[in-house]
Amino acid sequence: MSIVFCQLSTIEKVKTEKSNPPQIALRFFRWYCSPRLLDYIEGDLLEVYERRLKTSGKRLADFRFAVDVLLLFRPGIIGSRKNNYASNHIDMFRNNFKIALRSLWKNKPSTVINVLGLTTGITACLLIALFIQHELSFDKFQSKGKRIARVVMEYGFEGRPETEKGTFTSTKVAPVLSRTFPEVEKGVRMTTVSMILRLNNEPVTESNFLFSDSSFFNTFDYEMLEGNAATALDGKFKIVLTEAASKRYFGDESPLGKILEVGEKKTPYEVTGVMRDYPKNSQIQFDFLASFSSLGENQEETYFNANYTTYLLLNNEFAFAPLKEKLDPFMEKEMKGTGATIHFHLEPFREVHLQSPYPAFVSNTSMSYLYLLGGVALLIIVIVCSTYINLSTAKSIERAKEVGVRKVSGAARAQLFWQFIGEAFVVCCLSVLVSFSAASLLLPYFNSFVSRSFEFTDLLTPAFLLITFLITVAISLVAGSYPAIILSGMQPARILKGLFKNSSAAKQLQQSLVVFQFAITVFLIVCTFIIRNQLSYIQNKSLGYDRNHVLTLKIGWDTDYNQMKTLKQELKKHPQVVEVSRCGSSPEKIYSGYSMRLPSTPETEVIMVNANPVDEGFVKTSGLHLLAGRDFSQQDIELVTPEPWENKKFHYLINESAAAKFGWTPEEAIGRELVLNTTGVIVGVIKDFHFQSIHDALKPIVLFTSTWGGRLIIKTSGDDIPGTLAYLEQTWKKNYPRPSL
Amino acid sequence: MKNYQLGEFEEIVLLTVGILNNEAYSVAIKDEIESRLKRTVSMGALHTALIRLEDKGYLKSFSGESTEDRAGRPRRYFEITALGKKAMLHAKETREQLWKAIPKAVLEYQLRVTN
Repeated sequence: MSIVFCQLSTIEKVKTEKSNPPQIALRFFRWYCSPRLLDYIEGDLLEVYERRLKTSGKRLADFRFAVDVLLLFRPGIIGSRKNNYASNHIDMFRNNFKIALRSLWKNKPSTVINVLGLTTGITACLLIALFIQHELSFDKFQSKGKRIARVVMEYGFEGRPETEKGTFTSTKVAPVLSRTFPEVEKGVRMTTVSMILRLNNEPVTESNFLFSDSSFFNTFDYEMLEGNAATALDGKFKIVLTEAASKRYFGDESPLGKILEVGEKKTPYEVTGVMRDYPKNSQIQFDFLASFSSLGENQEETYFNANYTTYLLLNNEFAFAPLKEKLDPFMEKEMKGTGATIHFHLEPFREVHLQSPYPAFVSNTSMSYLYLLGGVALLIIVIVCSTYINLSTAKSIERAKEVGVRKVSGAARAQLFWQFIGEAFVVCCLSVLVSFSAASLLLPYFNSFVSRSFEFTDLLTPAFLLITFLITVAISLVAGSYPAIILSGMQPARILKGLFKNSSAAKQLQQSLVVFQFAITVFLIVCTFIIRNQLSYIQNKSLGYDRNHVLTLKIGWDTDYNQMKTLKQELKKHPQVVEVSRCGSSPEKIYSGYSMRLPSTPETEVIMVNANPVDEGFVKTSGLHLLAGRDFSQQDIELVTPEPWENKKFHYLINESAAAKFGWTPEEAIGRELVLNTTGVIVGVIKDFHFQSIHDALKPIVLFTSTWGGRLIIKTSGDDIPGTLAYLEQTWKKNYPRPSL
Repeated sequence: MKNYQLGEFEEIVLLTVGILNNEAYSVAIKDEIESRLKRTVSMGALHTALIRLEDKGYLKSFSGESTEDRAGRPRRYFEITALGKKAMLHAKETREQLWKAIPKAVLEYQLRVTN
């Protein structure tokens, strides 16, 4: 009985569930099946399903239905649901383009707002992209770049934990390392200086004067226009000019074999070559390349006297770590018994510009700074896109009728979508064109702002144009897609009946976009203010010295003492000039490292200290605070004029920290003897001041008397600045003929 | 001579369409092959074969009546074209030629082994 019942119920079930296969499978099938075949195959599926339902029950029938659907999922049966009317793409494109231009022309105000908005944003992004691209490209052109290492020296003294690190090395490093280690193929020593040259018998300061070993040509890329690279820097007083420098000094003539008078002493240098101007994205920059031996400072006695930058060319790019491992024990052996420790670290050449904490010949950029700029550019694009979205969504009512008519005439949604994207693209392209001209107008200001020298042609390199194109496409897709979705999704019947209203979703989006935009804008403005505050903090924080109304002038390091004396006296005649002093470095940037000790302590127990050569009036000029003793006087300076070195009698000014190193109070320090260059007397103690980065703690420093130094600092009263400047310039020209002030 | 391309399964389908004469629509073809050849035929394989044969011009199709058990969907009937017939004949002839080319000894040996 029960069995019969059961059977009855199954039959009933079948009847009620007739033609009811698994919906998911069926929907999937309808989705992929080509419309041409859909009806027939669906009919087949259903017929077989019915039959199986009767013979083997619902569950199995369902399962086999799903299997069938899956097995039908194959090429030939899958087809797009696109209608098969072939449309004329070229004509449609032209038509869309024409319509886009017409509607842009018709809605001039909104077009202008859109283009202006986009232009502002794109211009900012172009400039940022230009900068980022330039920074990223630094040193990448060097074909041996991966094998070049920059040497960083770390030194300290035994018994003291603190060490000093920097890219300064002595002339000994390159020859010793390349002799000792097979990994080192070549060593290049370099230093840049400002040199006074004579152009048409007028003295000119050239700041890009680079002294380098001849191994420069084995290590770095170059293109020699004239002369032989193999011998160009062999021997003293040889010089290679860049194309630009050669033009400046010798015009179109070949300078080969000619003589350039270099420096105060008019040393004759023989021109041995002309090379192509060095790329701007190189950490090594020069107009003049002179042989290192001309400096006459080549020595292999000590690792101190570290005033040069050393680059090493390794034999392969994986030699960095193995060489470093060998360097440490080698240097320990070398420094044994000297009381000092020196370690050398190797920096990959290509990472110097973006990742090194140590300065290079060209000022470095940090990677995080580039990320920050990239982020700002992205935010700007987002703001710009939101503006476009808002405006065009708000304007969509005006386009509604067009959409309605197009839809009635058979336009597919996708076609309309791409039409509006295309319109956004047209606006974008227009803005990009305007942006290019805006960017080229802004370039000079931008250059002085970021201290680079971009040219308009840098905007037209293929790589940069590609970036621009990608930005354009990205903006048109992002900005154009929402209005395009809104517009293409409109119901034609409703529009044509006049029942059209902007959807509430669109309104919400518009409002949230406005809020979002404002948020970003406020964020950027707040950031700007914070940065400004930081900057003014740096500018106004008491640094221990007064830099208001102080002028710094570059002079030749070895410019004659008496000549400078006359100039200083002339300058001081003006009522507004308070004091003038010559020094090695201006007070905010003193990095030169020296060692000091007491005459009673052995030579091995020295204290590291920064020091600066200065002459009389330095304390007054730079506004340092004298705690005890006195400033240097004219007599003190006269005492360092005698030659040779041994006959010079030095006087010192030290700061509180330096006095504390010896356990002296400021008063106790006066009159004590100190050994820096030679033994000398401390005449005064000054208050600590920030002579390096503001982030660093206050450190000990010694100022010593000198008759040399590359800076002239002038303290003025700050009244009648234009008049004072004019006087300074006039006096300057008369006494010390040079263009820059 | 024209190159008639006909896969093994395609040939079976073509032959079955011939057997069914005017009643050849997908489910009937599937049933026929399954019952005669004792092999299962998936709907996917059959439909792709049919589509390919139609593309090659060996079959032509027309819509038939719709029935209740197909939830109103029409059947699609297939018919062999003249070109289809030629292809079938060509296939048959090539097979026969090949058969004839086999040396008798091989076949006899094979037969003896199977027997």
